[in-house]
Parts: sequence; C-alpha cells; structure tokens
Amino acid sequence: MSGSLLLQSLLLGVLLGGLYALLAAGLTLYFGVMRVVMLAHSAFLILAAYLAWFFTVETGLDPLLSLVFTVPLFFGIGVGMQRLLISRLRPATLTMMSVLLTFSIALVIEGMLGFAFTGTHRRISLSYSGADIALFGASIPVVKLIAFGLAVVSLAGLYVLLKATRFGQALRATIQHGEAAQLVGINTDRIAGYGFGLGLATAAIGGTALALDSTIYPSLHWHWIGPLMAIIVVGGLGSIPGAAIAAMVLGLGQSLLQIPLGTTWAQTLFYVALFATLMLHPQGFFGGRLAQRF
Amino acid sequence: MGVALRAGRVIGLLALAALVIAFPSLAPDPFILSVGVVITSYAVLATSWNFVGGFTGYISLGHAAYSGLGAYATGLLIVRAGFNPWAALLVGGVLVALLAIPIGIASLRVRGASFVIVSIALVLITLLVFQSWGDFTGGSDGLRVPRPFGPDVMRPEQHERFFYLHAALLAVALLCWWVIDRSRFGAGLKAIREDEDKAQSLGVPTFTYKLVAFVVSAFFTALAGGLYALWFGFLDPVFQFSILAGSYLVLMSLLGGIRSLFGPLLGAVVVGYAMEYFKAQYGDTQLHLVAMGVLLAVVVLFMPDGIIPALNGLVNRFRPRAASIREVSQGELAERRREAEPPAAGATQEVGR
Repeated sequence: MSGSLLLQSLLLGVLLGGLYALLAAGLTLYFGVMRVVMLAHSAFLILAAYLAWFFTVETGLDPLLSLVFTVPLFFGIGVGMQRLLISRLRPATLTMMSVLLTFSIALVIEGMLGFAFTGTHRRISLSYSGADIALFGASIPVVKLIAFGLAVVSLAGLYVLLKATRFGQALRATIQHGEAAQLVGINTDRIAGYGFGLGLATAAIGGTALALDSTIYPSLHWHWIGPLMAIIVVGGLGSIPGAAIAAMVLGLGQSLLQIPLGTTWAQTLFYVALFATLMLHPQGFFGGRLAQRF
Repeated sequence: MGVALRAGRVIGLLALAALVIAFPSLAPDPFILSVGVVITSYAVLATSWNFVGGFTGYISLGHAAYSGLGAYATGLLIVRAGFNPWAALLVGGVLVALLAIPIGIASLRVRGASFVIVSIALVLITLLVFQSWGDFTGGSDGLRVPRPFGPDVMRPEQHERFFYLHAALLAVALLCWWVIDRSRFGAGLKAIREDEDKAQSLGVPTFTYKLVAFVVSAFFTALAGGLYALWFGFLDPVFQFSILAGSYLVLMSLLGGIRSLFGPLLGAVVVGYAMEYFKAQYGDTQLHLVAMGVLLAVVVLFMPDGIIPALNGLVNRFRPRAASIREVSQGELAERRREAEPPAAGATQEVGR
C-alpha cells in the first residue's frame, strides 16, 4: 500500500468520522433526554437531503442556504414529536414502544418521499462538486471538507450550548436526574421537547451535508440506521463524547478497511464492533453510564 | 372458568379449523388462494415471533433474519447439497436454531433498546453477507428453489397443498405456544416480561429461559421461512432480509395482542389482508409504506395491548363486575373485612394502626 493512498484513507476516514459523530450526537440526545431510540433519525436525514436538493433545483442557490429553513423546521418538528407523540407512551414500556413509534414515522417519511419525488436517484450538481484539494499526494474532495466543516461547527455549537447556557445546564440536569431537575424548578417536559428538537436539528444539518456528495433515494435511510446504531452502542448509549469517539474510530476503521476488503465488506466492521461490544462490554466502550457526563 | 365460556372456546376453535380447512374450496380463484398462503405464512411467522415477544417482552425487529436464513438454508441444501426438499426444510430449521444459540447469548445480554438495535443489526448483517457472497448464495441475482412437487402438479393445486402445509405448521406452533403458556417455564418467561430483576431474585433462571424461548422462536421462524421458500421458489436477499418484513411481524402481533394465543394470528389476517390490498391499490407509489406506518403508530399509541384485550375491555365495561380477586380494589377488600369482623375488633385494629 502506498503512503499517499494510506494518507488519503486516513484523511477521508477522519472526515467521514466527523460526519458520523454529528449524526450520532442527535441519537444520543434523544436517548439521553427521553430514553428513546429514534429509528427515524436517518429518515429525517434523507428528508433534509431531499429538501436541500429540492431547494437547489427550485432556486438555483447553494444547498447550504436551505439550512436557514430546515434547521428551524426540524427543531419545531422535533419539539412537536416529543410533545404530541412520544410523551403519550406509557413510561413502563417507553423504550420499546418508542422504537416502534419512531419506526412508523420513518416508514411514513420514506413513503411520502417516494410519493412526492419518486424512487429516482437524485444528486445535487454543484460548481465545486468535482473539485479536489491536493495534500501531500492525497486528494481530498472539497464537498467532503465542507461536510466535515459543518459537522465540526455544529458539534462545537452543541458543546457550547450544553456547557455555557442556562438551557444547556437545564438539559444536562434533566438528562442526569429528571426528578432532581424538577425539584430545582426546571420544567423537564419543556426541556425534553427542546432536547428532542435539538437532536432533530442536527439531522437537518447532517442531511444537508450528506446531500452535498451522495446520491439520494427514499430508501437510503436503511443504509444509515445500522452504522449509526452501532456507533451509539459502541460509544455507550446516551453519551455524546462516547458517540463522537466511536464515530471517529469506526469511520477511520471503515475507511482503512476499504482498501483491502472493498466497500461492502468494510461495512461489516460496524456490526462486528456492535457484537463485540455486547459480548465484552455491554454498556459501551467510551461513554460513562447512560449520559452521566458530557 | 365457566362451562359456557369453555364450550364457547371449543366451538370457536372448531369453527376456525373448519374455516381453514374449507378455505381452498371457498376461494374463488388461484390469486385469492395465494393470498391465503401468504397470510397463513405471516400467521406462522407472527406466532413464532410471539415466543419471544409475547412471553418475555423482548421486541425483536429482526426476525426476518431467521426466516431468511431458514429460507436460504432450505434452498441451498436442495440446490448445493442435493437434499430432499422436506429433509432440507427440517435440517435448515435445526441449523438456524443452532445458529440462534450464540446469537441469543450475545443479544439477550442486553435489554430494552440495545436488544432492538442488535436485532436490527442482525438483519442488516445477514443482508450484507447474502448479497456479497454471490457465488454461493446467488447474491443479488437471487436463488431459484426447485418446486418440491413434480411438474404435473398445477399451480392452483400447488397453492392448495402449501396452504394446508402452512396451516399445519401454524397449528403446531400454536399448540407449542399454548403448552408453554400453561407451563412453569411459561410462568417464568412471563415473570421476566413483568420484572426481570425480581424474577431473577426469585430464582428464575432468567438467562436460560430467555435463551430457550429465543431458540424455539428462531426454529419456528426458520421453518416458516423454509416453507415459504419451497412455495415461492425464488429468494432475493433484499426481500428475505428486510427490517420492513420483520417489523410487519411486530405490527401483526401487537395489533392482535401479544399476550393471547390467537393474537398474532388475528393480526396476521388483518395486516396481511391490508397489505395485499394496499399493494394492489397503490403498488406503484410508496403510499403502502405510509399506510403501514400510520397503522403501526395507531396501534402503538392507542392499543398497545392489541385488539383482543381492547375488545375484552369494551365487553367487560357492559358486563356485571367480575368477582375475581384481582378485580377488587384494596379499598373494597378492607370494606368487606370490616363488615365481616365484629365492630370492636375492627375498632382496635384501626387504633392499632
């Protein structure tokens, strides 16, 4: 294996890991605030990608500008979903039933996308689609760099929001101990709704980043569910730093394994990691117990 | 249980059996007959799913992995190893059950959300393997499974035979579920469903119980998959290993009611029929996905215990209050005791508290 190929794989792996980290952060947020496994996350991702594509096709503007609409829209949908649907489930069976409920939402989104845009594969054509940046013999596509940049900016924003604002403090308190948070006067229902909205807002950003350099079609979300679920299990359900580290490690691993194994078999890394985690360390490798820290 | 209720159940069961036996002669055309085969196939799958879902409360979205493995095991044993079709079906079921042991050991270590995630991962990984390993499994080109009956057996007759085969398998699965339901083993499983930690502290060997239920479930699921493969004659990984197919089983079981013997069967009839209808009406668009999604959401939100308990609740509302001890609240019980005891003793007891 040549040095530049290895370097290229490493760089692409880091870029991919960054995007995975952004997508998995949303999943850990839902699990943290509500103990909800949100199977519709990747469906919303594809929805955001379609909205970005549609925006560009209709207006001819850069797909990144669609974020101005999609982020608030997804935040609102998230708050509504939590308040109107998730909070209706019985606490005793919340985890299991939320899986089925969010799964049904994923089906509805996939069906509506298929109905509205047909099953045809779509791709955004951009002036910088084919551009590369050469770096020590490796060439890095500009779109992947932009996607990574979006991921870094939004993860940093999420970190600052959680660490430095009163809302973040309240959200962390709700995650750590809901009842205690209520006792000190936090409206945990409202905070949980906002937390859910925040998670879905990350899906809007992630989906737009995804739309920059991949072909999209309604059933694409199935391809994302597995890797994302593997990441949050390996990282420890509910832990944001755990998810970020696991995303980076698995993204790098996938990128490096693609050279000897090819793309399909490299995908199995996620499932191998998932099963290995359950056999060796069921609570996950990198996070603490259930979102104890951020 | 009252004699009338028991007699009613026997009559209901006989009516159901008569309906199943008469169905092929009632069906107006081979298409309806083939829909009948599909629905009985779903009924076997949902009942098999219910060995884990109903008894232990572990919701598996990934049972398509076992039906797909059973289907492929049957097909591959016939095509690659020259087995007799029926031997291949049985051996395939046993192989999948053996494979389910390590999978169960890994996935039953975790509960709730993680278990669901693992079950999804299982479908995705089997899909990946069967698509990529094309020179053995046929890959995305699919695998043609030879028909078990000779070429002189015509299509409608083939449907009829497979309808009865599926119905027989369904009867065996239902009987097995019924036996477990009334056994000590079943009581242990239901204790796991209600409160796993308490069950364990009461001495239920929870892990072994869960594993046995899991393997039995995988065995029946694989048999159903294998039987379907023999009937349909063609396997494609995308349809065999699909989370969607797995989720339909969950929808059927939940809709009918996972705590009752015939719940999954009822759900399979309702959902299976609805599915065929939606596919026939909106097959070109993706609206059948929307319909299924909405149906699942309605079931989860409004009747998580299923149709049978929901109807029972409705009937009970108009019935005189039952006299079972569980229907009596603690307050009523205290009232009754107070009436039975002499007033002085009641008074001291009140003071003693």
